Amino acid sequence: MRRALGWTAVALTAAAVPLVTANTYYLYLAMTVAIFVVVTCGLNVLAGLNGQISLGHAGLYAIGAYTAALGATRLGLGFWTALPLAVAVTAAVGAGLALTGLRLSGPYLAMVTIAFGIIVEGALVEWVALTGGPGGIFDIPRPALGGTPLPLGRYYWIVTVTAALALLLTRNVAASAWGRAFVAVKDSELAAESLGLSPYRVRTAAFTLSAAFAGAGGALFAFLNGYLSPDSFTLQTSILFLLIVLFGGLGTLAGPLVGATALVLLPELIRQFLEYRLMLYGVLLLLSVYFLPRGVVGALARRRDARPAAGDVSSFDAPLAREGAPGGEHARDESVIVALEGVTKAFGGLRAVADVTLRVRAATVHSVIGPNGAGKTTLVNLVAGFDTPDAGRIALAGAPIAGQAPSSIARRGLVRTFQTPQLFEALSVLDNVRVGAVGHRLGSLAIALLGLRRDATAADARARAALAAVGLGEWTTTPAADLPFGHRRRLEIARALAAGARVFVLDEPAAGLAPAEVEALDALLARLRAAGLTIVLIEHHVDLVMAISDRVTVLDEGRVIADGAPAAVQRDPAVVAAYLGTSP
Amino acid sequence: MIIQLLVSGLALGSMYGLVALGYHMTWATSRTLNFSQGHVVMLGAVVAYGVHVAAGWPLAVAVIATLAASAAFGLVVERIAVRPFFTAGSPVWLLSTIALGIIVENVAMVTFGKDARAFPSTLALKPVFLLGAGVYPQELLLPLAGVVLMGGTQLFYHRTFYGRQLKAVAWDREAAGLMGIHVPRAVATAYALSAVLAGVAGVLLAPLLNVSPTMGTLIGLKAFAVAILGGLGSAAGIVVAGFLYGLVEALVAGYVSTGAREIVGFALVIAMLTVRPWGLGGRRPTRRV
Repeated sequence: MRRALGWTAVALTAAAVPLVTANTYYLYLAMTVAIFVVVTCGLNVLAGLNGQISLGHAGLYAIGAYTAALGATRLGLGFWTALPLAVAVTAAVGAGLALTGLRLSGPYLAMVTIAFGIIVEGALVEWVALTGGPGGIFDIPRPALGGTPLPLGRYYWIVTVTAALALLLTRNVAASAWGRAFVAVKDSELAAESLGLSPYRVRTAAFTLSAAFAGAGGALFAFLNGYLSPDSFTLQTSILFLLIVLFGGLGTLAGPLVGATALVLLPELIRQFLEYRLMLYGVLLLLSVYFLPRGVVGALARRRDARPAAGDVSSFDAPLAREGAPGGEHARDESVIVALEGVTKAFGGLRAVADVTLRVRAATVHSVIGPNGAGKTTLVNLVAGFDTPDAGRIALAGAPIAGQAPSSIARRGLVRTFQTPQLFEALSVLDNVRVGAVGHRLGSLAIALLGLRRDATAADARARAALAAVGLGEWTTTPAADLPFGHRRRLEIARALAAGARVFVLDEPAAGLAPAEVEALDALLARLRAAGLTIVLIEHHVDLVMAISDRVTVLDEGRVIADGAPAAVQRDPAVVAAYLGTSP
Repeated sequence: MIIQLLVSGLALGSMYGLVALGYHMTWATSRTLNFSQGHVVMLGAVVAYGVHVAAGWPLAVAVIATLAASAAFGLVVERIAVRPFFTAGSPVWLLSTIALGIIVENVAMVTFGKDARAFPSTLALKPVFLLGAGVYPQELLLPLAGVVLMGGTQLFYHRTFYGRQLKAVAWDREAAGLMGIHVPRAVATAYALSAVLAGVAGVLLAPLLNVSPTMGTLIGLKAFAVAILGGLGSAAGIVVAGFLYGLVEALVAGYVSTGAREIVGFALVIAMLTVRPWGLGGRRPTRRV
């Protein structure tokens, strides 16, 4: 309610500007705010949701502006053709840049974006024949509607409505499967990959989207100004865009609006101190980073508490999605589902996994145990695609998977969990599982932008069922970051379940759990198995392993030293020696 | 002309390498870096100008003042822009260090003035002739000074107790901490040293370039490009990349145009990051799960 009031107030204020003043300068300022909102909405998706810091958005902004200006002056295009053209060209350039640069992160990504910005700026100056060089492009015709050029007061409406549209589109994206995927890749690339998402594709989409917004902003700017010169598109402009998003509130919907308004108007208010303008930017940037990680909007918003009111209701009564479902017929099918054949992996001189041959039967719990350094985690990484074996074959349901990307192995139905649970901390518990339920089937980004199909109901139902199955049904709205430790593992399992895993590879799921929680885990695994699912359990916790496993493989120094039923393995002298250190 | 271009390429390249070595130092010890290294170059030049040219003190005093100011700024950057965000996970320090750079630039603008000023030096007055080409002695001094300083840095790292501590932290933070090395202090030292290198580069460059509040920005970015090209983790790679970058830049500027210089230089960086993100001297990182 308060939120709706706030937005109405903003809309009314924006609508009142041309009625209150006919002063060209004030209109120009208001339109600058609106244009910056358009650009930074895209940057907000990129930096806020997807966590990528771009210091080259001025370059994209420039490409939008120059495309529109050239379209209008050279090709005689009108505003209504030049704008979409600018958006398309900028998005294409952004996609191209993303394809080269987005395998990178941190300072490397910063370097790519800075380099891009400098190259564009250099090209604007140097490529005189196209861009007019340092002098730029003049006489960009005013936008026209029905053949008559629009006065500034009318153009104001076009710019303002575009800004409103930009806010609306980012809201839609944030609430869509794409929005969750952006956040998922930011929070844990490993987990996103293990659920079938390709981080590279998701990042590329975020970058392309933000480029399209920058292009639209650039085109609006070109038609507002009537002339363009390279001075408007420097590294400082890129930093200003970032500052707007940070100051307003990274990842908050109103952030770009608050930030753009503040940063366009503040320097106007202190015009007698114009020479301290940079200082203002520097201090605001430092403050935004320092005191308000979530910006002004985040500081104002009340932190909502979404924990369940009473204690934890961790019943395991809810049915598993597959119980009684058509998939259940595989429950008694004990064919080999995961097969390793002579798998070897060495790091330098150390053979972490040496010639391991292993067969996991469907609908069983197959444990892999061994002392520290036995190669268990390396084995998980090899099976789940996080590492490539030096030799040997790995097959999932008969198909070779060694060396494939984790995301494609996940799509084939093998999902792993991590020793330290990898949750998407910024998402709610339900949204974590929804990322799994949707997986790589993100649908069209355009549809997400338009806000259609906000709830993919089938995936949603799967997500809720998976949560209920692991006993987290009451926790759906809690941010994953606030989840108690024992529940974090369950959330990981629920996520894998919703992702449609047939084979779960659980890397030490009992580590750090209280005895009661281990028992609950034991019961959960038994139910998964009963539903026809296969579990590969990497564990230290011998009680759990012996209680639940159908088969146990013991690794020591990368080799299989025993393989068989739990009771037989427990008596095996080689195993006893490996654990207790006596010579066989 | 080719001799002049080569000399000026090596001169600038050595300075890029020197500044880039500063990025390497803090990256190695803390996986963070000071994005306003270029502003420290400017700070060094401006302080030296103020003490030597404006106040008329001897050059030696100016150099000492520059070293002190740079080191102090390095410590300030570490303390207020890096340390609070050490565990943030995302590269927030990137933005906070940029913020400090912007503030310093504005301070320089207000105190020093916006206009560029010449830094008179006997070494940049009259050209000497080398293989028939006229070059300034300062241009010959730069690569020498650069090599000596870069070598000195390596000696410090490998031969002194304190340098070895930094090396230990670079190798394994946790283990170094367990061995009784004060890790935060080591990181702060790396920041001070890295700023000193940039400040010295500022003093050395001042006679060749004009001194102005904006002189450092592009130098800092180019040095960052050099650090990436050479490999952030590899001091040797960075030294080589510095000279290469300087040479390529000088040749492009001489035979194509000064504007094309930046385009070619930064396009090289993007190409390198696409093909070999770990740089010339770096090693392909292994993935940790």
